[in-house]
Amino acid sequence: MSTSNLGYLLTLPRFNYLAPKTIDEACSLLDKYGGAARVIAGGTDLLVSMKKREISPQYIINIKAIPELDYIHYSHEDGLKIGALATLQSVASSSIVKDKFGLLATACKKVGTPQVRNMGTIGGNICNGGPSQDTVPSLLVLEAKLKLVSLQGERVVPVDSFFISPFQTALNQAELLTEIQIPTPPPRSNGCYQWLTKITAVDETLVGVAVLMTSDSAGGLCKDIRIGLCSVAPVPIRARQAEELLRGKKIEADLIEQVAQVAADETRPRSRANYRRRMTSLLVKRAINEAWQSIR
Amino acid sequence: MKQLITLSVNGESYQVAVEPSITLLDVLRDGLGLIGAKKGCDLGNCGSCTVLLGGKPVLSCLLLAVEAQDKDILTIEGLAENGQLHPLQQAFIDYSALQCGFCTPGMLLSAKALLDENPQPTEEEVKEAISGNLCRCTGYIEIVEAILKVAQSNRGAE
Repeated sequence: MSTSNLGYLLTLPRFNYLAPKTIDEACSLLDKYGGAARVIAGGTDLLVSMKKREISPQYIINIKAIPELDYIHYSHEDGLKIGALATLQSVASSSIVKDKFGLLATACKKVGTPQVRNMGTIGGNICNGGPSQDTVPSLLVLEAKLKLVSLQGERVVPVDSFFISPFQTALNQAELLTEIQIPTPPPRSNGCYQWLTKITAVDETLVGVAVLMTSDSAGGLCKDIRIGLCSVAPVPIRARQAEELLRGKKIEADLIEQVAQVAADETRPRSRANYRRRMTSLLVKRAINEAWQSIR
Repeated sequence: MKQLITLSVNGESYQVAVEPSITLLDVLRDGLGLIGAKKGCDLGNCGSCTVLLGGKPVLSCLLLAVEAQDKDILTIEGLAENGQLHPLQQAFIDYSALQCGFCTPGMLLSAKALLDENPQPTEEEVKEAISGNLCRCTGYIEIVEAILKVAQSNRGAE
């Protein structure tokens, strides 16, 4: 943990401040300044890092003045499209997200405190790229895609290829995340997000588990299952081997026990490893039961 | 390079020359003399710097002053009107919801934002609303009670 070289004073290092009004303007600035610039959205991760002198960007690009980045749109065909600047609070309280993508609303509501959720954005949470980003397990199991824009054009990247290593993502220096695209889950699907925190209720996640399950038309078989985990590996991951065990099978207590254990074995926790593995197993079991029972 | 910005605080307009790297908290306290917002942790963990931006609780220690232009800012100094304490302020006194008072400005503003949006919160909702405001003195029980009592008396008034 690094500390400011000013002792207890956490003043920000100085920087040049830019406030583009359009996406094109923002991309031009990112292209021009590259690695010397950082984008600020909510600032709840960036400014903390800067106060601790972990980073000292020369240019800060405030994108909050760009109106076309804050939205939550849904249509059955296109699914859910969330602008990168949608605050965590707006996603958590959106009735369409709560109704059709409930696990994402739960995950967004978990992040930080009310104040942090009013300021922090879903785009910022994703781009921070840490191992414990609460929004990511839900995005993994919902098989979300991320739209990245630069002067060279745009590309769409699946969430599970976005995270490379702790705090390093596939976003290159001249790119801006503009949109999160989430397909409508198949019929007879539901999911949930379960977690444990390190110390207090509003603390960093110790283990985060998101599950999305689909049942067959008769309601007896698990047609599909996806398990997303955070805080138990260098990046958020899918527990694909565990998923394989349950896919296409009948839901049974013994099988769920096995699936939970395999998921725990897929984790690669850095610290408190034993406890995290045991809690992964417990939360996966609880999440599967909760998700399965809520399918209608 | 200093920038001249206009901040709207408690219904009044203030023009200040600021470096981009100065936080709203520092401008409020050192620039405008509004020392109700406190610098507790300065890292966004304690909530003692909480102010309302457009009616929503935010952490002024993690907001650049330049970002807070063109927004309505409410600090604790703006809560009482015409010398009359806000019902929440009175309730905090009546129900002993403060001891040292350091967390209190932020706590009151989070509570005000809650009741403005949800006039009849459950106890759970109150606790959630103040979950970003740490208190080392009271143990939170009287704070939650004070907020619920205000909600209750609002219901009675309808």
